[in-house]
Amino acid sequence: MSSTVIDRDLVRRVAEAAHIKLTDEELDKYAHQMKAIVEAFTELDQVDTEGVEPSFHPIELENVLREDEPRDWAWNPLGNTVHKENKYFKGPRIT
Amino acid sequence: MTTIEKAHLINEKYKAFNFIAEALEGGEGLLSGVAVSVKDNVCVNGMQSTAGSKILEGYIPPFDATVVAKCRAEGAGILGKTTQDEFGFGTFNVNTGYGVPLNPHDPERSTGGSSGGAAVVTAVADFPHLAIAESTGGSISCPASFCGVVGITPTYGRTSRWGLIDYANSLDKIGCMGKTVREAALLLTVISGPDKYDSTVLHEPTQDYTSYADGCAEGLKIGVPEEYFGEGVDTGVTEKVWTGIKTLESEGATVTEVSMPFTKHSLSSYYIIAMAEASTNLAKLCGLRYGLHMPLEGNFDEYFSEVRTLGFGEEAKRRIILGTFTRMAGYRDAYYLKALKVRTKVIEDFKRAFKHVDVLAAPTMPVVAPKFSEIAELEPIQHYMMDILTVAPNLAGVPMISVPCGEHLGMPVGLHLMTDHLEEGKLVKAASAVEGAR
Amino acid sequence: MKATIGLEIHVHLLTDSKLFCSCRTSLMGKEPNENTCPICLGFPGSKPKANKRAIDHGIVLAKALSCSLVPEIRFSRKNYFYPDMPKNFQITQYEVPLAMNGYVMLGNRKIRIRRVHLEEDPAKLIHVGGDITTARYNHIDYNRAGIPLVEIVTEPDLEDTKEARLFLEKLSVILDHLGVYDPTTEGAIRVDANVSIDGGQRVEVKNITGFRNVEKALNYEVVRQKSMANMGIDVSRETRHFDAESGTTSSLRKKETEDDYGYIIEPDLVKIKLHSEWVDKLTESMPELPDHRIERFIEQYSIGRFQAGIIVNTGLQLSLFYEECCNLYKDPKIVVNWIVTYLLKSLNYERLNIKESKVKPETFVELLKLIDEGVISERTAKELIKEYTVSGESPRKIVKEKNLSLMSEDELHKVVSEVIEENPKAVNDYQSGHVKAAEYLIGQVLRKTRARAAVDTVRKLITDMMESKPR
Repeated sequence: MSSTVIDRDLVRRVAEAAHIKLTDEELDKYAHQMKAIVEAFTELDQVDTEGVEPSFHPIELENVLREDEPRDWAWNPLGNTVHKENKYFKGPRIT
Repeated sequence: MTTIEKAHLINEKYKAFNFIAEALEGGEGLLSGVAVSVKDNVCVNGMQSTAGSKILEGYIPPFDATVVAKCRAEGAGILGKTTQDEFGFGTFNVNTGYGVPLNPHDPERSTGGSSGGAAVVTAVADFPHLAIAESTGGSISCPASFCGVVGITPTYGRTSRWGLIDYANSLDKIGCMGKTVREAALLLTVISGPDKYDSTVLHEPTQDYTSYADGCAEGLKIGVPEEYFGEGVDTGVTEKVWTGIKTLESEGATVTEVSMPFTKHSLSSYYIIAMAEASTNLAKLCGLRYGLHMPLEGNFDEYFSEVRTLGFGEEAKRRIILGTFTRMAGYRDAYYLKALKVRTKVIEDFKRAFKHVDVLAAPTMPVVAPKFSEIAELEPIQHYMMDILTVAPNLAGVPMISVPCGEHLGMPVGLHLMTDHLEEGKLVKAASAVEGAR
Repeated sequence: MKATIGLEIHVHLLTDSKLFCSCRTSLMGKEPNENTCPICLGFPGSKPKANKRAIDHGIVLAKALSCSLVPEIRFSRKNYFYPDMPKNFQITQYEVPLAMNGYVMLGNRKIRIRRVHLEEDPAKLIHVGGDITTARYNHIDYNRAGIPLVEIVTEPDLEDTKEARLFLEKLSVILDHLGVYDPTTEGAIRVDANVSIDGGQRVEVKNITGFRNVEKALNYEVVRQKSMANMGIDVSRETRHFDAESGTTSSLRKKETEDDYGYIIEPDLVKIKLHSEWVDKLTESMPELPDHRIERFIEQYSIGRFQAGIIVNTGLQLSLFYEECCNLYKDPKIVVNWIVTYLLKSLNYERLNIKESKVKPETFVELLKLIDEGVISERTAKELIKEYTVSGESPRKIVKEKNLSLMSEDELHKVVSEVIEENPKAVNDYQSGHVKAAEYLIGQVLRKTRARAAVDTVRKLITDMMESKPR
């Protein structure tokens, strides 16, 4: 991972994927800061993780499941939005 | 003066609340007559809950977090929502959408973060009060230490996360703060235990944790990890922490040195996992169903980008971008998956140590609360490095408590005690011994 | 030029509640967004919890498709922004799908299944003021969001449109037999199809609902790609949208690289171990699969492969209906004839399936018994079945009310005499040795009696009377 190059282009591409717009100044600043941070992350290379399982949780539970029992939730789903019309949410157009 | 009026005064002075209730309700139970403040990222039915972010401005949760419901059931009144770093993204509580809280010991200094408001109210309230706080990588211990109160971060899954506005789900733990160990233990007693709404909550029933607060350390084996006293830890802080450890010894504990070699890798592992999870959690915030809204213009890519660019603060954007990067195809194995494997090594460090000792003792933070002027000089990576002592136990999901152990430069110093999973009782016992002797 | 087709099939699994919350899956008569809760709408603070029955269904289906189950499953977050996504990520399975490496036999062709996994359905978008490309905004109805889907991904083993259709039909029958989906629900099966021609670039056609539309979309896409290739134009790699009304596909976006969904393990859910006791219990109580049922029908009821195939492949309900009828009636061959030749035709004509219709085994075999008892003619029965299909009324009752039973010998004798009187030419022909002429006369009698006479009886009467009639 030590070969990862964090530059403006990569930051712009990632920010776009995350739906965040950056000004040119922000791009410069973020690229500079992220470079330092990601370089620091590369210290993980030193840890030998051959054959080590990832820990998705600190304590692993298993088979926590719900029975298939329906229940109605009494609430107003549209109570937190202004984007609504005829009981629908209103969303932006696709293209 | 009513409690609500007092809360408004505290807020005027220290900016500790994002929202204050109109009236304090309450009933019978373990928390009868107690005002409970709730960190802004923990949902309270009908009370604006923003997790400190502009993008959630106006979000009124239609349900109570399980921990809030449990407090109500024990007679507590909900006082309001306390200030925090946006979504928990910060060590100094300066990354906020609604103003920065001030340290009651010195208003030019940070409260610590991200549960800064919770620590302030706990420190200054002159009425019966307990605080619900939350930690992902140290967000209870840090402000507890900086503000001189007791903060308990329980075992991962000891408390239900239902109703918590997620930062990093595999790390987030709802915990509590109080002026004393016994008070904090009382709130822990109330909020712990199973919950059908959270798949990751542990199934063990709660205990009466106050019963462990006997001020006695007899028979406890204390481990002091050398890695927690290295470069960067202020000598003044180290001195007070050792005073605390000596107290435990004089109260009957034995003290040995232990080694936790993966501590130095915990910071990278923690930040990668936390940011990867956070960046997906925050994707849903796009101005459609709740929180910040804008006029529906452009296609969905344009509209979502517009809302998110306006709504997220600088640090949130940084973590979203970094988090998105660490899980992208081509980088995912090297960062996200690697960090999860290193996490396994960090957990093993703790498991190994707890074979020999009951409690680990270390400084909570390497420094006392810094001045805002000092914080302004720090680069983001230097902010992150401040968490070096708290991220490892948070990665391992072990319970921890920060208990005041003296002052340095006129500011409180916190002693950090950690135990094995579900050993909150021992934690309370040891902390009460430190506290009792102070 | 050869087409290569791979399908990703999304099937609504038949559960009472959604995959990660307790909202109902039945959307009949629901107002928009009525069938939601903070969990399926992804409200901050809410958390998912997995539905055991959905996983049961997935296990049974994976077994039926001859897949290998993984020992331990996890859910992942598939991250992308879209207005139909409550959380802007979909909880699905990525690293460890429920099952892998299965197959379905189409005759002697093996169609390989790459993977089977569970995921949540997104919401329904309604484009307001236009279609997907021209609408001003969207109405979003989250009632469907969170309904459990199973996604079945085939290898690109399908060679043409017809084979794709046959595969889907077979899959549908398997799902139906397992009782894991409801074929009558709107949009119960949605398909994404990957189509390429002779090693050309792969085009993905998204979100096709219904088998007929899959066939239409594939036909359109195969022809489009072939004609492009004929003109020497390269087919570019892209995602296309199928418009059901025009039966055409149109470009949604070009694809230069694989989509990057930034998958992570869903940290709000825990691992699910598919313990052998759990899997074995499900496997033991697994319903009979269609291929097996066809063989059993041939064996047990001594019926032909063709007819057994029709019964079984029409659906589980018809198979059960047939078996029930066989319990109530002596001759399974007669039953299958009547079902395949008349009942199905009548059901299709009325656009009904056996489950929705009022047709019941008890009343259906009554019809066959009426013939045996000599109460009605076969021809009357064939007429009667149309009315019976719609009303479900007892055939015996209909026969009585409408006076459809066979005429008495006296009545019939009278009609035959009339016919003989009225057709001297035919009688003459017969008597001069043209035996065929009798058939004409029989037809006349049946017409006059509106089939209330058995053909054999009529024939006997006519020949007797003509033999005895003086020339």
